[in-house]
Amino acid sequence: MKFLLFAALTLALARSAAGDADHGAPIVRPTVRGPATGLADSAALRATVFGTPPQDIAPMPDTVPVLEIDIPMPWRQKVPGIFWYDKKLRVWFSGQNKPAPLVIVIAGTGDDGNSSSVATLRGALYGDGYHVLTVPSPTFPRFIVAASRTGVAGDLKQDGQDLYDSIERIVAHLPRKVRISDIDIVGYSLGGANAGIVKSIDTREGRLHIHRAVMIEPPVSLFASMERLDKLFAQSIGSGDAGVERLYQRLFAQLANFYRASDRVEIDQSFLLAAAAAVLTTDQEFSAAIALSFRIDLMNLFLAGDIYAKTGAIADPNHPLEVGQPLEHIEEELRTKPFDDYFTEVFAPYYLKHRPHSTPASLIADNNLNIIGPALSSDLDYYVQTNSDDLILNQAELEWLKSTLGSRIAVYDHGGHLGNLGDRRQVADMLDMLAGRWQGGS
Amino acid sequence: MRAFLACPVLLLCGCVSSGIVTHRLPDETPAADNAASIKKAEGLAATKKTVEMQEKSSTEPPPLTPADAPPMSTYDPWERFNRFNYRLNARFDEAVFFPVANGYRHLPSPIRTGVNDFFDNLAEIDSIINYTLQGRLGRGVRSLGRFVINSTLGLAGLFDVATHFHLEKAPTGFGTTLAKWGMHPGPYLVIPILGPSTLREAVGLLGDYGTSYGINVADLYRGDQGWGLGVLNAVDKRAGVDFRYYSTGSPFEYDTIRFLYVRKLLLQDAGLHKTQAPKPPSGAPAGE
Repeated sequence: MKFLLFAALTLALARSAAGDADHGAPIVRPTVRGPATGLADSAALRATVFGTPPQDIAPMPDTVPVLEIDIPMPWRQKVPGIFWYDKKLRVWFSGQNKPAPLVIVIAGTGDDGNSSSVATLRGALYGDGYHVLTVPSPTFPRFIVAASRTGVAGDLKQDGQDLYDSIERIVAHLPRKVRISDIDIVGYSLGGANAGIVKSIDTREGRLHIHRAVMIEPPVSLFASMERLDKLFAQSIGSGDAGVERLYQRLFAQLANFYRASDRVEIDQSFLLAAAAAVLTTDQEFSAAIALSFRIDLMNLFLAGDIYAKTGAIADPNHPLEVGQPLEHIEEELRTKPFDDYFTEVFAPYYLKHRPHSTPASLIADNNLNIIGPALSSDLDYYVQTNSDDLILNQAELEWLKSTLGSRIAVYDHGGHLGNLGDRRQVADMLDMLAGRWQGGS
Repeated sequence: MRAFLACPVLLLCGCVSSGIVTHRLPDETPAADNAASIKKAEGLAATKKTVEMQEKSSTEPPPLTPADAPPMSTYDPWERFNRFNYRLNARFDEAVFFPVANGYRHLPSPIRTGVNDFFDNLAEIDSIINYTLQGRLGRGVRSLGRFVINSTLGLAGLFDVATHFHLEKAPTGFGTTLAKWGMHPGPYLVIPILGPSTLREAVGLLGDYGTSYGINVADLYRGDQGWGLGVLNAVDKRAGVDFRYYSTGSPFEYDTIRFLYVRKLLLQDAGLHKTQAPKPPSGAPAGE
């Protein structure tokens, strides 16, 4: 039975590695300095990789109840064989025992609705007296398969509509004893942009009556950011699979040497954390970690989109991938494919066909937060939190957010991308914004 | 027990519900978790410091270079069989193993800790034998000390008293012994119910079980209660692991788990050879 523990521990490691590597979103190449403060990028990259230090985390409640809900969506398309396990959308709900406002939390790029970032927000919100419903990013494979109408993720409007309809259905099926007095929405990274779009759809359709939206470190121009990420990958890892292999070999050797020297018997999560801190030391290594974790998210998105859109870029539409078939050659091919390929080979062909009068340029223009610019500037229930050294924003985008939101934006000096999610200041401001008592930055 | 075995068969018939399914998960404890993270962070800083100091010592074998890293692809000649087992395990876990373990996790924590410590204490016997076979006598003596203290002061292993005497848990098994003797992990193997393994580790597992069965402490393994204890042990181990099949949502999950599992094994193998006599810098690369 010892083996079971061993196997199980490894599985746990796999999960922690998969879960904690997800820092979400598109990243600008590191040569761009933090716009407002001029902080060295090193600090922003480091914060992005390691996240908020535990001693800076906001006060958390002792216990948070969590209900896991698997719910089918009636508009789901026919599920491709290799996604057989993703038929229902999985979401998580933490309910108060009394009537309370509900906060819906949308995860960032490639994240499930139960990632470590989501859990941090859930703790903070539940502790402040909210019911909390957490949902995956529309770029998460299970969402794509179980709740997307197109299977081609990454379009702000389409993803927003799929999210909105899913949330309406989930809220209608929450346990009967749950009494909801008000509904607010929060999202981080790409989920921040999704949250804003969902609120704007609700303003038009009025089925949920979402009150306030807090968008935490959202991107402004989705595809411009993604292309900068491709450059980050090329700069820090190199193009093609050889670069990934070189990175792997270097990390393996460093980890092995660290393990030998550390006199530890088990390779567990705390070992990996210590090892990561020892092994990842240069800006190039931080950049590589960020670029690679995004590429791994992109691989799932790419394959799913290709199969649903039947573009044939990866899988032959006439010979669908079978359950149980080896996928290593596909994995290798996808590792070398940047976001730019996803756009030109899958995303654009699909949406150009399904949206009359659209052009590649119009698709790019539509995937910008400025499509809800008027609402962001005139509706006083939208709030934004961001960092002046956030890697996913450039100076012009940050300025656009500041001028559009006016007094409803909090800009922190340091944190990179999501490197201050859950810290005392961010949480306190978020709670003030949700309660409508935020007085503006000091 | 028969019902236990029948479950995977039923699952293969596809009796999976199509409606809304909910699981009440155990409460999260963010305040305590965060306090633990702070403490752990201090420990990690200490580990990092010791490692940095140790790396300067010259008695170590030469450090691994990137050229020594094993290839990224994994030897998996039985891939279709393994993928079949992985799916089987996922279905079994979702329908039986996880719900049972999830229910178990709602029991008060002192009970679960007692059960966990009890089984870990029994496993010390196997650790003592295997540390001896590996020629790591110091660690063998530590396991022996733990077993003696916990079996007596710890009331038949229900309490892990030895940890308070700074004798930390450090289990090993026959798979590690085979690695120490120089055996390569062999082809990847997904075992029904148990999960990822390799040929060597599967042999190690049989060795560990054979040892326990042969020694048969207090008739716990061969008596009528053997099956019941085996199931309780399995549920206890499953409950201690925060993993859900297909929680990545990714069609590459099989590949990811295979990569991480085997890489972890190879890292541990490389670590096992650190106590060898130092080799000249021009010698063969360390590690397998």
